[in-house]
This record gives sequence, C-alpha cells and structure tokens, in this order.
Amino acid sequence: MTVIPGVDPDLSAMMHDVFADRPATGDGCADLDAGLWSELQRLGLTRLTGSEAGGGSGAGWREAAELLSAAASTAIRLPLAEHDLLAGSLLEQAGLQNDDRLRTVAVLNETGSARAVPWALTAQRLTVLWPTGDRWSLADVDVDAVYIEPGANLIGEPRDTVRLDLAALAGTEVDPTAVCHYLRTGALARAVQICAAMDRALALTIEHTTARVQFGRALARFQAVQHLIADIAAECALARAATEAAVCSAVRSGLTGDEAAFRVAVARSCAGHAASVVVRNAHQALGAIGTTREYPLHRYTRAAIAWRGEFGSTQQWDQRVAEAAALAGPDGLWELITE
Amino acid sequence: MRITPGRLVPPTLGDPSAYAELRCEVREFLAEKRAAGAYTPTVDCWLSAWDEDFTWDLASRGWLGMTVPVEYGGHDRGYMERFVVTEELLAGGAPVAAHWIADRQIVPSLLKFGTEEQKREYLPGIARGEIFFGIGMSEPESGSDLASVRTVATRIDGGWLLNGSKVWTSGAHKAHAFIALVRTEPVDPDNRHAGLSQLLVDLDSPGVEIRPIVSMSGSHHFNEVFFSDVMVPDARVFGTLGDGWRQVTSELSYERSGPERFLSTFPLLAALTAHADVPNLGRLTARITGLHQMSCAVAGALNHGESADLAAAVVKVLGTSTEGDIAEAASLLTGDDVSDLAGAEWSALVSAGVDQRPGFTLRGGTSEILRGVIARGLGLR
Repeated sequence: MTVIPGVDPDLSAMMHDVFADRPATGDGCADLDAGLWSELQRLGLTRLTGSEAGGGSGAGWREAAELLSAAASTAIRLPLAEHDLLAGSLLEQAGLQNDDRLRTVAVLNETGSARAVPWALTAQRLTVLWPTGDRWSLADVDVDAVYIEPGANLIGEPRDTVRLDLAALAGTEVDPTAVCHYLRTGALARAVQICAAMDRALALTIEHTTARVQFGRALARFQAVQHLIADIAAECALARAATEAAVCSAVRSGLTGDEAAFRVAVARSCAGHAASVVVRNAHQALGAIGTTREYPLHRYTRAAIAWRGEFGSTQQWDQRVAEAAALAGPDGLWELITE
Repeated sequence: MRITPGRLVPPTLGDPSAYAELRCEVREFLAEKRAAGAYTPTVDCWLSAWDEDFTWDLASRGWLGMTVPVEYGGHDRGYMERFVVTEELLAGGAPVAAHWIADRQIVPSLLKFGTEEQKREYLPGIARGEIFFGIGMSEPESGSDLASVRTVATRIDGGWLLNGSKVWTSGAHKAHAFIALVRTEPVDPDNRHAGLSQLLVDLDSPGVEIRPIVSMSGSHHFNEVFFSDVMVPDARVFGTLGDGWRQVTSELSYERSGPERFLSTFPLLAALTAHADVPNLGRLTARITGLHQMSCAVAGALNHGESADLAAAVVKVLGTSTEGDIAEAASLLTGDDVSDLAGAEWSALVSAGVDQRPGFTLRGGTSEILRGVIARGLGLR
C-alpha cells in the first residue's frame, strides 16, 4: 500500500526500496550522500515533477509526496523538495533552463541576503528571488558567486545564510504570486514530511511498548499507555487527512488560488499541533531510552519539530486560517471549509 | 522487526466540489428558514432542538430517509448525499432532533436487519417525518459496559414479556418507538455477548412508563423508560434472536463517524469569526476542517460497504474534544465587561455550549472506551 493515495504501487515500491537498506543520515550533521543522490538521479527521482521536455520525469504532487514520505520515514535527509518542487518549478515557470546540477532556492531581502536557506552550501546552483519595489526578479546563479555562511536546523540539515550583490545580478521578472506559490509549495512539502515522521514515531512507540515488560507485563497492556498511543494515532490521522486534502488540491489546481492556500494552511496547522501531542506522548511512552541518541525515536520526533517551523511557524499558519475564517465571517465559514 | 501500522482512516480522495449543488440547495433552504424566523441556530441541535414542523419540511424536500429505497417510501439516494445534507443541517444549527435518531440509525438498521413487515411498518413513516425513534441501549447499571444489560425478555405464547429499564433515552417522551437491547437468555459467563437480542418496542405499549431526566441546564431531552410485563409480539423481534450484540456493534461506525461528532458547536465557531483576536480561532477552524475531510473519507468508505469502525472511533475522539474546545474558547472570551459578547443570543449559545459539552465525550461511546478501540486496532490489546 502506498503512503499517498493514488500513487502507482510499482513506482511507490521503487521509491521505498531505494531507501530501505540504507542507514539513516548521521545525527547532528546531515551531509549529502552523493552516491545516493546519483542513484536517485539515475532512477529519475530527483527531478520527478519537472516536465519531460525540460529533462524531468513528468510526475505530479502525489508522486513527489510519496518520495518525500519514503525519505522522511527512513530519516534520510536529502534536498528532494528543494531541488525539484521548489527550484525546478520556479525555473520552469520563469522559462529558464534547468539541468541536473543540485539546486535550492533563496528568497532574498532588499539587501540581497536570506537566512536559513536549505542546503545552500551543498548545492551547485542557487535559484534566487528578490524584490525590486513591487516587482520580483529571479535568477539562477552559481554558488561560487555567493557568500554562504553555514547553519543547520534542529536535526542538522543545512540551513545556511546567503548574501549576494544584487547590483551585479541580472534577473528575469516573475509574477509576484511566484513567491507565495514557492512558500506554499515548501509548506506543503514539510507537512508531508511531518506526517511521515510522525507515523514512524507511532510505529516505534508501538514496537517499544509491546516489547518492553514492566511489572510483569508489556507496557502496551497498561491502559494509561494505550491511551497515550491512541492519541498519537488519532493526531497522526488528522494531520494526514488535512495534508492529503491539500495534496489533492495541489493536484487539481497546482497550488494556485485561495482554496489551495486555505488547504495548505489547514494542513500545516493540523500537522503542527499534531506534532505537539505525538512528540510528547511518544517520548513519554518510550521512557528515558527514547531521549538518547542511540535510540532512533529522535530522528522522527525532532524532525517533526524542526519541519513544523519551516516555511512558516505553526502560529503563522494558525493565523492564516484565522484570517481566512474572519474574512469568510459567520455566514461564510462553512462554505470556506467545504469548498 | 519493523512495525508499520496500517491506515486507521481511509484516504482523502476526490474533489470536495462534487456535491456543491446539493450543499447549495440545503444552504439556501436554511437561509430562507432563518430569514422567515422559522428557527434560530442552536448548539447541539441534533439532541436538543425538536421541531416537528421543520422535520416535515425537510421530509417534503426529500431530505429524510434519503437512503431508503423508493418502494419503502424513501428516495434511493446514496449515503454520501445523505452525509452532505446532514452536514449542512448541523453546520446551520437547524432543529433536527425529532427525526435524528430514526434517520441516522434506525433506517440503516431496518434496511439491514428488518423483516419485510417491519420495513413497511416503519420506513415510510420515518421518510415522511412522522415516526420518531429513540435508542434503547444504556441501563442504570449498564453505561459503557453495554453487554451487562439486565432488561429481560421472557418467552411467552406468541411473543416476549419485557421487564427492566432503559436510561438516557433522548426524546422518548415524544418518540413513537425504540429498539431495545435485551437479554433473551441467561448470562453465559464464558461469552457475555451471547443471549442478547433486539426488540422493536412501541413506546405507547401497555406497561411502558417514561420518566423525565432533567439535565443540569433545566432542559429535558433524556428519559428513563421502565417496562413492567410489556408484551412484544414475535413479529417485533429485530434481526436474529441471540445476535443482538453483533447487530448493535455493526452499526456503530454510522453513529460514531458522522458530522454530529464535530459540528455540535459549529454555530459558536461561526459566531467567533466576527470577533477580533479570538485565541485559537485558527487552530480550531483548521481542526474542524480536517475533521470534515476525515469524516467525508469515512462516509465514502461506508458508501462502498467497507467497514470503518476504527476510523469512526478516531473521528469521534478528535471531533468531540474539538467541539468541546470550541465551547470552551467561547466561554473564556465571555465576561460581564465584554460588551460585544453580551447579547442574549450569544449568551444562549455559550451557555448551551458549556452545559452540553460534558455530554459530547460521553454519548455514543466515551472517549476512554474509544481510545481502547483504537488501541486494539493498533494491536496493543
């Protein structure tokens, strides 16, 4: 059974097989596994959603979500979303040439800098967006021309600070909605990753509590423990339902329009708050062993926490939902929810 | 060993706009009714807002007994269409209590287990909005532990003699009948689910006494129903004798996954959107949206005849706590110095919200029982 409904089972199996026997990425420092990246490239998975004419595989959001889920559920850290869903689609929208060189995106401020750019130091090319007055420009530059200061998120994935000299940059003007679309795409990619990480945390919690014996019986036999785990499972299911609805919306409308914006905001709100319950209850059920580097739970709980803070905080996504609700008002709220 | 728990909830598929036309039809109807002063949206309308005129109006539009075949007076429509109509009615806070139990629960049970005679006796009246039902499950000594029911039916010539009592029967004082879960054989300590049967009982039968249970708000929905030598003819045995437990539990996913498990306080949430800076408005709206998506997915699975017991438990645990959180959020905002939240209409909604809230996570299977159901589904017990 595929993680994302509607994905071809053979394609899904191929994606999961690539990661199956590989170790999780090293803790604390997520260097790119260049061998694995080449393997993914050979299989046509690194530019999964790019058009076939432009050298991509011509797949859609569902397949991209399946691949992100496969990587997240094995704790293998790769710039899959950044290279394909984000940089690839921006270049395509702007009508610029793409190739197989590893890419990520930076949204620069007026002074030409950006914080927490995923995988900037790892990438070969940087797709940059910057504002000039009301307009936005895009350029695809070589990383050698960029000042990069390394950084990392909670799970050691590269989140670097970049600085460019905007005066020396020749850009193509892009539609101002491109920036919104980019943030929405990244936000949904993280929601998919959060769901996969939380499902794995649930699985590890079940594994541990059914095996570990205290007071003469497995922990899972205690009602208090069962209820902790039932709540994990329920929250995972809610986050997944909301995320699937957003993925369906992405398939229908390419994440453009107010409906898609609302679906993504709902998915991020549900996934962000689900992570609170999942992380707290999983660690409670696992006991002290779950807090060690040796035991793998942290690869999923800390990932969920790290990812829910990227492409917007949970608070910001709650705020987006609240703004949409206030705009809809008492007579329009239900229509907003069901449209 | 790597454990991969299966999906608890069916996938979210398809286009939400598929039923847009039907949704619009119901919305326009409700807007007209409100404009005409026919009803004011209430909290927990499916339990507490009994309005037979409103029910007849719905029936005349074909929105009752939607899944009942035409030959039994129904409309031959799909379960998804019924789901959409009920969601709209609840979101609009409409007075639907009179027919709620009959339409939600008795219709699918009658279609599945009823005899030809029983279907002809009850279904047309339910679809016309003229026959109302209660639920006859809980007893004074049997709350969450339903299998411990003590009401006894004793074999007599041509039927059964019923003795005992049922409790928390919503609307029994106005309803025409209910389906009682009773013991037709002595308890078998090795199999306590055996020997239970369901009987269709007309509530005006001689020997039936109905006493009100007044809720803490002063309102009256619940009743206790007493049986003293009530004669139930053989023709009113429901389904198979001794199969009562399976029959009762097989219909639970309809009862637990529906929109009434997350929309009981929707009129409050809608009202909150008119106020600035409501804490948690985004989180609560997002959860209700996610629950709507999840409940739709379960309805789709039920429509295809798939079992959805676990998914229904998930919807109910999350949904009933969220609808309670909405009442709580509204209550926390309300104070004697907050002028724009001091109107009589608002006050009535908030009071109903906090008064009805404890019931949300009790009725239809407590959250504790449901967490046990989920845990069993995950292989923990």
